[in-house]
Amino acid sequence: MDSFLRVQSVSKIFNRGEAGESFGLKDINLQINKGEFIVISGPSGSGKTTLLNLIGGLDSISSGKIIFNGIDISSLNETELSDLRRDKIGFVFQAYNLISLFSARENIEYVMKLRGFSQNECDMRVDEVARKLGIVKLLDKLPANLSGGEQQRVAVARAVASKPELILADEPTANLDSRSALELMDMMERLNREEGITVIFSSHDPMVIDKAKRSIILKDGHSLIDSF
Amino acid sequence: MEGFPSYKQLKTQSFPYLQLAFKTVRKERGRSSITILLTALSTAMLIFITALMDGEHQTLLKSSVELYSGYINIKHNKFRDEPSIEYLIRDSDMMVDKLKNRDDIQAVSQRFDTFVLFSTDSRSVGGMLSGIQPESEKMTSKLKLSLLKGKYLQADDKDSLYIGSELAKLLKVDIGDRVSFIGTGSDYSFCADNLTVKGIFQTGLFEFDSQSAFLNKSYFDKVFLTESLATEIVLLPKNIDMADKASHSIQHTLSEELSSESWRESMKSLVKAMELDAIFGYITVGILFIVILFVILIYTFLTLFARIKEIGVLRAVGTSQREIFAMLFAESITLSFIGVVVGVLIGGGLALYFNINPIEFGAEFEEQFKQYGFINTAIPTDFNISNIFRDGLIIFALSIGSTIYPIIKVNSYRPVEAIHHV
Ligand SMILES: Nc1ncnc2c1ncn2[C@@H]1O[C@H](COP(=O)(O)OP(=O)(O)OP(=O)(O)O)[C@@H](O)[C@H]1O
Ligand SMILES: [Mg+2]
Repeated sequence: MDSFLRVQSVSKIFNRGEAGESFGLKDINLQINKGEFIVISGPSGSGKTTLLNLIGGLDSISSGKIIFNGIDISSLNETELSDLRRDKIGFVFQAYNLISLFSARENIEYVMKLRGFSQNECDMRVDEVARKLGIVKLLDKLPANLSGGEQQRVAVARAVASKPELILADEPTANLDSRSALELMDMMERLNREEGITVIFSSHDPMVIDKAKRSIILKDGHSLIDSF
Repeated sequence: MEGFPSYKQLKTQSFPYLQLAFKTVRKERGRSSITILLTALSTAMLIFITALMDGEHQTLLKSSVELYSGYINIKHNKFRDEPSIEYLIRDSDMMVDKLKNRDDIQAVSQRFDTFVLFSTDSRSVGGMLSGIQPESEKMTSKLKLSLLKGKYLQADDKDSLYIGSELAKLLKVDIGDRVSFIGTGSDYSFCADNLTVKGIFQTGLFEFDSQSAFLNKSYFDKVFLTESLATEIVLLPKNIDMADKASHSIQHTLSEELSSESWRESMKSLVKAMELDAIFGYITVGILFIVILFVILIYTFLTLFARIKEIGVLRAVGTSQREIFAMLFAESITLSFIGVVVGVLIGGGLALYFNINPIEFGAEFEEQFKQYGFINTAIPTDFNISNIFRDGLIIFALSIGSTIYPIIKVNSYRPVEAIHHV
């Protein structure tokens, strides 16, 4: 059986053929199964962000293949990639990246509405997710009126609300204090468990890394250790 | 089928990116108001400049038609190119009587124009002396209404002269002063007489006011031997919009050597000149608008690049390029529309206001105005709804057009590039 996500000899070269040519990733191989809760760690500049961006189809692969749900994502065009992200993938960014003009609720609903969920379905799902993430009281606030930890929980809610198959979170806790960071990880772990969503996140923080069931360590674009 | 929205999706689709577009328009007040202001300003300016140019042209055209040349005129075919006493309208009295009885004609007057040399004790000036029928001329021209000083002519006047204000200035005469002239009669003999200034008129058309003077035709005919002869017959149709039709119909009743022309035909060269003038005007305005639209383009670039991170995030969470385009285009349409509506109201308001209260150009413009045939420096703007609508549409199209390139440009970035763009 084909695995859920397969990264096959993937390399990423930035500014190819130009003065600033540099390797982001070198010959990475990974196999990820449905329902896993994985951390990618490694020193700064080791390629964590690059790897997550490639898996999410946000950037182009220089060589190799990423097979997601049996589809080679490097063969998809921009529209197909958009659809893939909308229907199958949720993103959580280090800098939260909420839509500043939208309330927490509108942010969480955004992807659901994009996918054509009815207002009723949105309301029910937002309430459910908000309860799990402890942000019920924050739903009508604008991002500017939320703390970093609260914003990141809203961002996680946005990522999971439309029930994607995969969540990609690039250093979701890097801007949070350690208590908020651990709380957020607990919530993400719970969503992974209860909703069966595969989660791949990156982190520097040993306490956060510790929460993961599987850890992949990168160094200089190479995959060093893949431990269960 | 995958990729196609189901009926349920279509029915419940709430277009969150459009929701965001309208929120952006409402919440980003500074950005929105600057864009609206720029669009409104260009719209108002275009409408007002058009109204001013058209107003100037129409004023000139209307004043010269209504002033003297008339909506319909009948002349000898050859007289039109070569105004000589060989080419006269004969039996003009009878023709006038016949034309007066037509249903489509309100008033008829006959004239005899001839060049003479006017003299006073101190000066001699060439000009046009015309014999007119004071009563019917009241209807076919603005001569009586142009009275500045003294009195207009009467049917029983004899050697009374009705003289243009600029000509009076040149001759240094006032009401009651004597003016003599020498000219040629219809039999090529010399004619000369002494006249008394009865009235001074000012039409506003400089050429006209500096060259024309009028006598009662019944007295004129005795001096120049022009009884029942005319150089032209001028007609006022009952409905001025039907001047062409009436002129055409009159043509059939005329003998071969005579022709009837409506104002549109006889003013052909003036109309052409104005159209040409309008084209130059539009080119000048066009250059101005290229500058304004460039400003809108640059401003759109700046505002969109300030939002490129947001756009990258929207793309990352699954908004397609088409949807991003729809979002930014919806913003552009909304802002342009509001701007154009505001601009139409302002520009249209100004055009209407200065249509009712003509713009008074100061004395410093007088010389320039005289060259174009105006003495009056007050010009009403043209208030024409369809032109205003047209100008609004032009700016609407241009301002939307000038945002398309920036939209395509920001939309061409890959999501990562957009998110990390600095
Ligand atoms: N847009 C880019 N252009 C050129 N080089 C880049 C670009 N993005 C990343 N790189 C390079 O690729 C390598 C991997 O970068 P990446 O951002 O993936 O590291 P990271 O592990 O996420 O680091 P950090 O922990 O600091 O976030 C680095 O050497 C980096 O300089
Ligand atoms: Mg990183």
